[in-house]
Amino acid sequence: MQQTIVEKIVSRVAGRKVHTGELIDILPIDKLYFNEVIAPPAIINFQEDFRAVYSEAASSRNRAGEIAVWGENGKSKVKVFDPSRVCFIPDHTVPSCSVKVAQGVNLMKQFASDQGIKMFKEGDGIEHTVVTEEGFVRPGEVVVATDSHTDTVGAIGALGFGIGTTEAEYALATGEIYDFFVPETYKFEITGDFRPGVSAKDLILTILGRVKEGGCSKKVAEYSGETIRRMGMDGRFTMCNMSVEMSARTGIVNPDEVTSQFMLETIARHPELSSELSSKMADRSFSGVRSDDDASYASVMELDAEKIEPQVALPHSPANAKPASEISDEINVVFIGSCTNARHSDLIEASKILKGKKVHPNVNLLVIPASRLVYNWAMNEGILKIFADAGANIESSNCGPCFGKHMGVLSPGDRCLSTSNRNYKGRMGSPDASIYLSSPATAAASAIEGKIADPRRYYAA
Amino acid sequence: LNNNNSLVSGTVTVKFGNDINTDYIVPAYILQEAWDKKFFADYAFERYSPDFIKTCRANENKDNIVVAGKNFGCGSSREQAVYAIQYNNVKAVIAESFPDIFFRNSINNSFCVVKVESVDDIPLGAKVEINLEELIVKVDNGRIVKQILMNEEERNLLVSGGRLGKVRERLREKLLTTN
Repeated sequence: MQQTIVEKIVSRVAGRKVHTGELIDILPIDKLYFNEVIAPPAIINFQEDFRAVYSEAASSRNRAGEIAVWGENGKSKVKVFDPSRVCFIPDHTVPSCSVKVAQGVNLMKQFASDQGIKMFKEGDGIEHTVVTEEGFVRPGEVVVATDSHTDTVGAIGALGFGIGTTEAEYALATGEIYDFFVPETYKFEITGDFRPGVSAKDLILTILGRVKEGGCSKKVAEYSGETIRRMGMDGRFTMCNMSVEMSARTGIVNPDEVTSQFMLETIARHPELSSELSSKMADRSFSGVRSDDDASYASVMELDAEKIEPQVALPHSPANAKPASEISDEINVVFIGSCTNARHSDLIEASKILKGKKVHPNVNLLVIPASRLVYNWAMNEGILKIFADAGANIESSNCGPCFGKHMGVLSPGDRCLSTSNRNYKGRMGSPDASIYLSSPATAAASAIEGKIADPRRYYAA
Repeated sequence: LNNNNSLVSGTVTVKFGNDINTDYIVPAYILQEAWDKKFFADYAFERYSPDFIKTCRANENKDNIVVAGKNFGCGSSREQAVYAIQYNNVKAVIAESFPDIFFRNSINNSFCVVKVESVDDIPLGAKVEINLEELIVKVDNGRIVKQILMNEEERNLLVSGGRLGKVRERLREKLLTTN
């Protein structure tokens, strides 16, 4: 029987051939990562919930010598399942914006150092960007993390799930998640070329506008077709990222040549990973992690990319998409950033439009590159200078105002156009602010005009 | 929900529509300000429905039931959303559907979340009894009886108080069999 990429990945970790709808009692995971919103309580609960098990195991084991490795002064210490498969990334509100946040980050640093877990630094970037850039997450892996936008890693063909504090704490102890239903897949088959000024964000907002917030519930969104095959990795990240906005379990793209190129670039930056990663890629050549041609899908939606116009999601739902050409609402804040749209090609698109122009006098433009890698690249390429010359505020890499806690919290009456993924009432500050979502190109054009603007006029031949 | 307790009852004090996201349930700015679950009760629905807390606390002895439409708890994976509801003396949420993350977070906290076909005929003020043994919801002493849509595993987890026991057992096995 033919399988989807989801069934194949789950089959590998489950150790048997599984199909949609099956309940997997114990599902081993490949990778687990935490941000600073959830790590502190998870660390505390992990130690409390499993200390007794460690003490008991220590006393009932015959090989007392081994137990001593875990113990301090004869007391057992709770250890994570495998420190090399866990990492910590402080990204939501760093540099720390409150005493409690700073305390939480320090707790993570201490725990990471005790356990041998990799702890990234403040400003290294947004978790979902960092884990792919750094080669921590690879195609075909099962990945869980304490953030709903873990679906982003689907862009490289990994199966990523957002989980809560408790499930993450359990996974930290055992490297497993429990009672997992193999989800059905909703396939989005995209053909045709985007017109100038139109990008992946406009496509995913169009899809969201059709299926609505609950439209992919219990299912994985698989993006395929010639448009996706020709799409760069950055666009794929944007697509997968917003899958959770239609309540999908996650989003995924079948790995291919583009994925392979992305992994080769990762290896080039991280020679220490080269032998491990190269052999894995050679082994798989991704054939084991691609949906079979006759795999069975719960639903299929076909779209023609050529017909898609720049989209804006109006307040207060990401599924409230309308063509940018039909809207001219005034705005006073523009945010180009977030795990959705702050990578290389996003910043290039925005900078092309802003080059030699000034941000509208009424607009506060915030630009936050997704990672230190992207930040330094944009600095060296002169992209940051274009933003600075236009009058933008450029901040170190983090989630920024999308989280509504620092770096541009909205006041009542503010009207913000953001390249992020959620425009729920109150998401970025006051519930009496209005949030609109768009692509980086639309955001840049709108920052210049002080109102929502169709970016296509900046692409005239 | 107590261990081995399959009966949950209360009064419907709050009713919501579709697509209530976890940002509405508890705003992000407060998530990192405490590591204690009860703390989040004071911020439940702060920016979406400030009356929620007042309504839930109007009568100290009252057991509250929240009723909602489709896709209750969508969006962010923040587990604090479960605590915020749970620690306002809410005994259960009855909704037409839940996305997986919120549903799993609820079960991990032994918080009763049940799905029914339609909530149209469960009015505010109704007395509700949820029977997880028979998988039914009785509205107003059985005036209306609704089927709970829940599989065996989920039901067992809810009745037995979540997964912690099972995970501890798995960890014990792993520790004792590791070379």
